[in-house]
Amino acid sequence: MAQVDFQGKTFDVDEDGFILDYNQFCEEWIQYVKEQEGIDELTDEHKLVVKVLQEYYEKNGIAPMVRVLSKLTKFKLKHIYELFPSGPGKGACKMAGLPKPTGCV
Amino acid sequence: MAFISSGYNPDKPMEDRITDIGPKKFDQFYPPVIAKNKGKWLYHEILEPGVLVHVAEGGDEVYTVRCGGARLMSTGLIREICEIADKHCEGHVRFTTRNNIEFMVDDKSKLDPLKKDLEGRKFAGGSFKFPVGGTGAGITNIVHTQGWIHCHTPATDASGTVKATMDEVFGDFQNMRLPAPLRISMACCLNMCGAVHCSDIAILGYHRKPPMLDHEYLDKLCEIPLAIAACPTGAIKPSKVEVNGEQMKSVAVNNDRCMFCGNCYTMCPSLPLADKEGDGIVLMAGGKVSNRISMPKFSKVVVAFLPNETPRWPTMTDTIKKMIEAYSSDANKYERLGEWAERIGWERFFEKCELPFTHHLIDDFRDPAYYTWRQSTQFKF
Repeated sequence: MAQVDFQGKTFDVDEDGFILDYNQFCEEWIQYVKEQEGIDELTDEHKLVVKVLQEYYEKNGIAPMVRVLSKLTKFKLKHIYELFPSGPGKGACKMAGLPKPTGCV
Repeated sequence: MAFISSGYNPDKPMEDRITDIGPKKFDQFYPPVIAKNKGKWLYHEILEPGVLVHVAEGGDEVYTVRCGGARLMSTGLIREICEIADKHCEGHVRFTTRNNIEFMVDDKSKLDPLKKDLEGRKFAGGSFKFPVGGTGAGITNIVHTQGWIHCHTPATDASGTVKATMDEVFGDFQNMRLPAPLRISMACCLNMCGAVHCSDIAILGYHRKPPMLDHEYLDKLCEIPLAIAACPTGAIKPSKVEVNGEQMKSVAVNNDRCMFCGNCYTMCPSLPLADKEGDGIVLMAGGKVSNRISMPKFSKVVVAFLPNETPRWPTMTDTIKKMIEAYSSDANKYERLGEWAERIGWERFFEKCELPFTHHLIDDFRDPAYYTWRQSTQFKF
């Protein structure tokens, strides 16, 4: 387990840079992932995706399926990739502090 | 080594980014004789094990030499393949769907030097680098998976079991004495990546113990509903546990319902189940994918468990050998292993292969299990 210090906060992360404990999520984490993922500017649209992911995760205990995320945010998958170049899993879920996607990925 | 940039700028990851260009088009790499005669082939012959000739309408011929590959290869070996292709085949070479290597020449006089060259190449340990064979009614390469080289859910090794098996059946790779082609496949867990579910003989990694629960990290690392839904037998349910005086969300596994598939570990890193003594190998037999004479078949479990005996898996290779010998001496010409077993009856199959029949082999998974039992008085003593 590695630790990341960023703007005065400490995060436990795994080797892929996903946060190990959802409870450690805070605003600084968003800034940290923004740098890691090469996102130029944090817009309201980024924040909406993060908010939708977190609300869904807190309510259901899982990350939403891509089509559900598309429907809830009203963003097409193409646009989600424009916001998060690494995609909804590696980019958006990481920024939202959700667990790392599993399965045959 | 010090960092050497390819020109990619990590500060501007999307700048000059090329995407969605797909693979190179296959016809860029055709040997001239293939490009010229595409779609005009008249007939082909197997001249000898590992060597084919295709004859085109205009009379053009192309000779193909097929040789075995280990599938897991270094760039050093790939370079050697390229060197051979440069020397004999004007730089052209191809790989088959079973990961054999095929060198093609357009004239019979080029055939012998190529074959001699291939057969003369050996590794320092003594094994052939490019053994010629794999055609006709023999045993060709084994389709296999990652195993302990790279995967995190395996119950056995892939490259190791495959090397041990191919060494044992090497004679049949360079020979065409069997009634029909015999396909052997290998998968290191029952995700069954590859072709084990549809091969004449299949080697499959298998667990025998339920997962261990890492309660402390489970809720943090896993999406619990996914782990529950991953279970084919409904053995997992959500639960609350107390770890170090703290209430935590986790799961409970009903060990009586668990059949050790490992699907939950695929979805949730806190449910590992690999075990040195528990893990081993299941052998399956009788599958095929072609439509020739009979419809495609699934392979069926014929050996419920064999231990992992690194590095040579002797019990496994002996059992496979026994099956191949019984099949080759008893089956009719053109009869695949599955067709043979169904014609003589599976009770005879077990008798001829000297395999013990255990209760593990009787299907008990949901309603379709019923159709695998015998609703008939037709059987042999």
